Amino acid sequence: MSGADWLSYSLQDFVMFGPQVFLRLFVRINQDLWPWQLLAVITAIFIPQLILRQNIAARRLAVGLMALAWIVSGYGFLVGYFGPISWPAAWFGWAFVAQGLLLAAAVFAGGIHNSRFSVGEFAVLWLIAVCGLPWLAIADSGQWHAVALFGLAPGTTAAAGALALALMTKTWRWLYLPLLVLWSLFSAALLWVLQTWWLLVTPVATLLLVGAGFWLSPRTAQNPD
Amino acid sequence: MADRFSRRQFLITAGLAGLALKSPVLFANTSGSTALSPIMRRIPGTDESTPAIGMGTWITFNVGGDEQLIAQRIEVLKTFFELGGTVVDGSPMYGSAADVMGEALNALDGHDRIFAATKIWTGDESETRAEAARSSRRWGVDQFDLLQVHNLLGWQGHLETLKQMKANGEVRYIGITTSHGRRHREFAQIMEREPLDFVQLTYNVLDREVEDRLLPMAEERGIGVIVNRPFQGGSLFRRFQSEPLPDWAGEAGVGNWAEFFLKYIISHPAVTCAIPATSKVEHMKENMGALYGKLPDADQRQRMADYVRSL
Repeated sequence: MSGADWLSYSLQDFVMFGPQVFLRLFVRINQDLWPWQLLAVITAIFIPQLILRQNIAARRLAVGLMALAWIVSGYGFLVGYFGPISWPAAWFGWAFVAQGLLLAAAVFAGGIHNSRFSVGEFAVLWLIAVCGLPWLAIADSGQWHAVALFGLAPGTTAAAGALALALMTKTWRWLYLPLLVLWSLFSAALLWVLQTWWLLVTPVATLLLVGAGFWLSPRTAQNPD
Repeated sequence: MADRFSRRQFLITAGLAGLALKSPVLFANTSGSTALSPIMRRIPGTDESTPAIGMGTWITFNVGGDEQLIAQRIEVLKTFFELGGTVVDGSPMYGSAADVMGEALNALDGHDRIFAATKIWTGDESETRAEAARSSRRWGVDQFDLLQVHNLLGWQGHLETLKQMKANGEVRYIGITTSHGRRHREFAQIMEREPLDFVQLTYNVLDREVEDRLLPMAEERGIGVIVNRPFQGGSLFRRFQSEPLPDWAGEAGVGNWAEFFLKYIISHPAVTCAIPATSKVEHMKENMGALYGKLPDADQRQRMADYVRSL
């Protein structure tokens, strides 16, 4: 196709499903996984407790749980539920799995720093993300079952997961960054086309939390070992 | 004999009157067509006819593994069949729509009632047969009635294979598609050169560019025309549904906006079939209303186009 042909396409032409089908994904995964999402809620609240302890073992455990959240939301939601109606979502699903493995590798390969940083601010931002963002899917769908929990819903997982930047050493941080940005752009375009205006807050919040992750990270953070 | 109107008689009469008012197109005795007979269009160069209203599956049937939504789509297809529809169009591009269509056809035992049309959508021109076979498996049909090259993607290689498949009896009809008014010049060149049975293009009361060249060319060369985006992706309803129909709409066989948009299209002599897509049974019923009753004549078609432009 020529350049002019490509220009004649709109974002809408690449989205092969409607908002009802998309919002039902959240309802379906919550119905299918009940009551395991309670574990996701407990994990989301437990992570800042670990960070507040200011020791490297707890910090590694927190990042390990974040890694698990990336893998579960990527393979579960994106590959398993979203992938059948959108092939880019399936690709992102595998990228989420890779992101989780990257975080896990950072835990075991010295990618998590032991430097002091503003853990209180980290905890506040984290709780805002994992407690606030899940409601947006409810606001758009009008259904309680659509709650977009950390560890299950990719948007909330990526947004809160962006704060892991504050815990990583410099090299790992730059490896971790690209998917956060790509996912934010992809999901923002998608949610714009679907006109799910409340959920559109999530990719914006993700980018803001990427900035916060960098801002919180100690400039001198190097490999701890 | 008592000439009093019993309560029972009153209820039956009122019920029939209500039904007639609700479904004017089904009861209208129209010129050239008897009541309840669908508007059929002959496929050029054949003795075969298809209903002038078909069904698209873009967006609407891509619901993944959502059992609740699949059940709703099965009801949509069931309504389509009940109201006389046969032509269903899909594409491998539409995500899970082919799988959902296969499940719906199984549920309704509809394989023999359908005129199955899909597309070849791959840049790999050696994949024509393989993709057609994949689509057949997903739809659960032995073979497709119509295979079309989607948006001219890799059309040279695909069309050569499709011609061979038609000669071998692996498909009955072949064609090419475009949408949104794209690549019309190249589209016309292919129509001039290749032995096509069908073309699929975008045409509606606002997007009328094809009236200038492609539709007359299809008529002249004996190529069937399937019309996509008859409601401009739903935007025609968003724009005009709050507006009143013109006073003379009934004279043109039009009872609602869906019929207005669809009858404008299928009353063009070159058009074989329009393929609106919907996920709602009520909308399917409205769409299929356009398959019955009177069609606007040339003057009325002009008035329809003028009317929407004036709004």
